[in-house]
Amino acid sequence: MAKHASNSSSSDPATAPDSVLSPRYNQGLTPLHPPHENLLRTQMILRALILLILASVAETLIYMHHEMPAGLVLVPAAVIAFLTVAILPHRIYRRWGYDMGDAQLRVLRGYLWRTDTIVPFNRIQHIDVAQGPLQRFFGLSTLIVHTAGTHNSIVTLPGLATADAEEMRDTIKGHIRQDMI
Amino acid sequence: MNEAADTSPAQDSAPFRHLHPLSIILKSLSMIGRNIVAVAVLHFSLFDQNIAYTMLAALALVALVTGVTTLIWSRFTYQVTEREIRIKSGLLNRNNRSIPFDRIQDVSLEQKLPHRLLRLATVALETGSGGGEDGQLEALTRSDAEELRDTIRDYKAGRNVDSRRSIEEHATEEAPPLFAMDNRRIFIAGLFNFSFVLLAILGALAQNLDFLLPGDFFDPRNWFNALSNQKIIDGLSFWMRVAGVLGAIFSLIIVGFVSGIIRTFIREYGFRLDRVDSGQAGFRRRRGLFTLTDMVMPIHRVQAAIIQTGPVRQRYGWYHLKFKSLAGDASGETDHSAAPCATGPEIDTILGQCNISPPAEDVEFHPVNPALWWRRAILICFASAALAAVTASAVHPAFSTLLLLAIPVSFILFLNWRQHQYALSDGQLVVRSGWWRRRLTVLPLSKIQTVDVGQTPWDHPLDLATIIIGIAGGSAIAPLTIRAIGLDRASDLRRQLLSRTDSRPTSG
Repeated sequence: MAKHASNSSSSDPATAPDSVLSPRYNQGLTPLHPPHENLLRTQMILRALILLILASVAETLIYMHHEMPAGLVLVPAAVIAFLTVAILPHRIYRRWGYDMGDAQLRVLRGYLWRTDTIVPFNRIQHIDVAQGPLQRFFGLSTLIVHTAGTHNSIVTLPGLATADAEEMRDTIKGHIRQDMI
Repeated sequence: MNEAADTSPAQDSAPFRHLHPLSIILKSLSMIGRNIVAVAVLHFSLFDQNIAYTMLAALALVALVTGVTTLIWSRFTYQVTEREIRIKSGLLNRNNRSIPFDRIQDVSLEQKLPHRLLRLATVALETGSGGGEDGQLEALTRSDAEELRDTIRDYKAGRNVDSRRSIEEHATEEAPPLFAMDNRRIFIAGLFNFSFVLLAILGALAQNLDFLLPGDFFDPRNWFNALSNQKIIDGLSFWMRVAGVLGAIFSLIIVGFVSGIIRTFIREYGFRLDRVDSGQAGFRRRRGLFTLTDMVMPIHRVQAAIIQTGPVRQRYGWYHLKFKSLAGDASGETDHSAAPCATGPEIDTILGQCNISPPAEDVEFHPVNPALWWRRAILICFASAALAAVTASAVHPAFSTLLLLAIPVSFILFLNWRQHQYALSDGQLVVRSGWWRRRLTVLPLSKIQTVDVGQTPWDHPLDLATIIIGIAGGSAIAPLTIRAIGLDRASDLRRQLLSRTDSRPTSG
């Protein structure tokens, strides 16, 4: 599975420059706002730091109590950390896509575990536009739509430019009708 | 969001009312009942069986419980205005909740045995916001409770309060029930409700009352000693032992059937489903031997119908009809049981009352990809082979027969695959699943909330996908899914599923 993913990446720089995504990754849907990739990278860096701290603690503990070559834990952890920061954000980013249809919102995400959700506008109960501290730094917002369904009643679409998210909210708002169920 | 929150101040004039004073006694009794075990334990342990101390402790408990319950009761008030019900509660943390009638999904009256003796009832209001009942008024007089229910229903029907008639005079006397179960039917339902809950109850009782048993009753070493000392078992012939084992199994089965029947009788006794047309059209269900429940569910809130059966049950033509509604049933069920044990024609009659039509005979069901079973069967084979290899080499060669386990499991997977089918007809999606617990879900397309097409890593090589359909109500853990269908077919099916939601609003 991982091999499959790496195949597609090796051909990636040749066929498509970074700014223009090849439609085959997200079926030609609207990509997220480009700064989202940096946001993902920042999140990955934070996670990688935590991983490295934990790894170095484990490394010291093992090194103190056992006869072991140095770097048994730290080196693999560093490799994983490097890979997650260097490679993953772009791969996650390019698999996201959304589409504002006339009457429905489509959200596509993931590759190995792919989910493709369609929410008809007139099924939406209420809408949030949320923004965390990191997102604010990058000028991004998350659009969250709530339906009455019990499965997947909250559909989130992160990585939208704040202005876009608010515009989408206003579009959807016009379709919400009261007491649908 | 809550457009009903802007109630005009004129409505605030409705009086704040308390619950029935008898509820103090009922609540205290139930709380004391729960704590009496603690006193008994104290009697045997700390107080060294000194009856005076125990009485003192019991008195203190009664005083404390009654005092607190009275305080809580005095701070619990409710107010019924024209458009909403307000509930003020809480001793220290005051909670002021208002539930607009618009948001109430269904109203149910419940009468536990003591409530019935005192002619009281508990009103539970469900708004479908998830997480149990949203408003519960314990212990109103039965007539008050019915009046409240009628008020809500009349409001929702948009009718004048003066012109209403009680649901009682309207429904019960005239019109035969839509569906009712006599004792014979309940007995049949009980036969299929095989369960070992009675054993569990006996076990729990033994655990809770263990201070009555000798101290080392639960010490297994005692039992082993007793067994080996007796040497009786060794003296028995082979056939006697076989008979003993068979007898044990047989008695377990009997216990299972009996407890299933008892449970079914307690829950379903006097089951009666009516259609009520005064106000909003709805289903009214009454049932219960000790705890009487009386629930009214508006018909247009029915999201989907589920018809459950089993291999044996289906052979004899019995089905269990449930409705998916926004609010869950009381007693932890996610769906409203509408007919626990009914024949096919009876189910068709009930379904005919709501806007769901039973699937026609000639509807062509589509099978799903056989990968659904063989993928898992291969996995099971590998797993059992590994298990057999490890145990056979480590423990005893006889364990290699564990490999045979894969055969029945794979066969069941195969049967499950054969049952998993779907059809699209009449603006309805019909999904059939499960071989042992057969489920037929009939979902009008206009009730669909969201549709997911998902793929897992092991779906990619075969280009398969899973469709998950979000419906209002029902369980979030087991949503309606169609497994293992081709990706193209999945996208196609999704387009058809959503065709009804795009164009027009649902019947609101």
